[in-house]
Amino acid sequence: MKKNLYFLGIIVLINAIVPQYAFAYLDPGTGSMILQMLIAGCVGVGCTFNIWKDKVIGLFKKGNNDKQ
Amino acid sequence: MTNSNIKEESSFKDPDAGVFVENGVYIRKIYERYRPEYEKLMQSGLYENLTAAHLLVKHEEIRRGEDCIVIKPEQVFVSYPWEWCFSQLKDAALATLKIQQTALEFDMSLKDANCFNIQFLNNKPLLIDTSSFENYEEGSAWVAYRQFCENFIAPLALMAYTDLNLNGLFLMNINGIPLELTSKLLPFKTKFNLNLFTHIHLHCRMQNKYSDNSKKVTNIKISKMQLQNIIKNLQSTVESINLPKYETEWGDYYSFTNYTEKSFEEKKKIIDNFRNIINPEIVWDFGSNTGIFSRIFSDNGSKVIAFDIDKMAIEKNYLKIKHDKETNIFPLVSDLSNPSPSLGWANKERKSLSQRASNVDLILALALIHHLRFTCNIPFENMAEYFSSISRYMIIEFVDKQDSKVQKMLLNRKDVFDDYTQENFESVFGKHYNFIKKEKISDTARTLYLMEKK
Repeated sequence: MKKNLYFLGIIVLINAIVPQYAFAYLDPGTGSMILQMLIAGCVGVGCTFNIWKDKVIGLFKKGNNDKQ
Repeated sequence: MTNSNIKEESSFKDPDAGVFVENGVYIRKIYERYRPEYEKLMQSGLYENLTAAHLLVKHEEIRRGEDCIVIKPEQVFVSYPWEWCFSQLKDAALATLKIQQTALEFDMSLKDANCFNIQFLNNKPLLIDTSSFENYEEGSAWVAYRQFCENFIAPLALMAYTDLNLNGLFLMNINGIPLELTSKLLPFKTKFNLNLFTHIHLHCRMQNKYSDNSKKVTNIKISKMQLQNIIKNLQSTVESINLPKYETEWGDYYSFTNYTEKSFEEKKKIIDNFRNIINPEIVWDFGSNTGIFSRIFSDNGSKVIAFDIDKMAIEKNYLKIKHDKETNIFPLVSDLSNPSPSLGWANKERKSLSQRASNVDLILALALIHHLRFTCNIPFENMAEYFSSISRYMIIEFVDKQDSKVQKMLLNRKDVFDDYTQENFESVFGKHYNFIKKEKISDTARTLYLMEKK
């Protein structure tokens, strides 16, 4: 049992030390990776906002066209 | 290893491939470990797509061995980002993003976004590193995002918002300009620019926050669409960085020449006559300004590199070249009194300007030597020695002390340049060169020489 826990401890330690991209020669940087996730979220919100904005504007434009 | 197969000194970072010089030609060896990605690049249609769009260097496979595939790419003149004007760097940035965007469509991704991997062929930026692609894994972030910001967004923002000369920071930071330094140097107002705030200022803070991170980050998941949106956001960021309108002494140089239009036309005619005598293939024009005299050669089939110290002159030249779709003239920023040094690991990673001067047939040095002598204090002997080490032929303009430009340069200083006489010029250059032609430009204090190295 102790031996198993020992090996488990080593595996956890290796996981903590070895970077995610073990085969990449370029270090992407932890902060840069997390920032991309934040941007992805914000850009997504921005895209959704734009889609809705276009829809709303489209409704008004359609309304104007109908009047004509 | 034989002399005919020498590894390029800068090719040591990528374990997937290596660049070698074989019989004077650059080749790339794709190692076995990278074979699956290389095959995917070639067979998925990505290679055809990118080469058709002039975004990736074309190559031919010259042999397939057990341990590597050897490809011979189109040969390009290697230039560096500190030699580029603003628009060249911006075009290189946009090319990188377009490549990444296209790669994602084929389920591949750029594993680096190094500006040295982008070179100009016929004035179009293209990727020269064929082994820069890796398989795209669903959910993964762009591994080269930080490198892109350090190699492109940081220098572009610094050039546009702080000082046009700041791409020179690459000379101290060849792996990219650190975001912390960029954030410090950019004006406060850039913190209110959402794109620059995100990719530079916030990015810098995120880097610092996680600099001591020792935990494996496993929970980063970005969908492909989100990643494509990030690339689009980077594109709009780069597109939004523009140069303010600069006024420089040199930018309008040809509007303020001190000789008449007739003399100017005569100068062009003499140079064209000299050109006819030697018909050079490769020309380096030092002090080219916006390239008026370079075009006497490029319009007649010579390949010209037009150097000038003035970044705005090079900017104007590059924009004209793009507008007119010229391919024979390539403008680069260079201070002849302090040309690009060799840099990087063991001073061999990036080559000096002299080391890249191969097969140059002719040097043009028009209206240049008085600046070298009076402003940079370079004696004739040193000029003749350096120029003759680069090319066989030279067209050089001697500007006499009677010339109003020279008189203006000496107006408020003691004239200690007793050696600056036409007689001494001929005597010193005569040690290194044979004079083929000598023509005085009418109504000026200027003489043109065509010389051949002894």
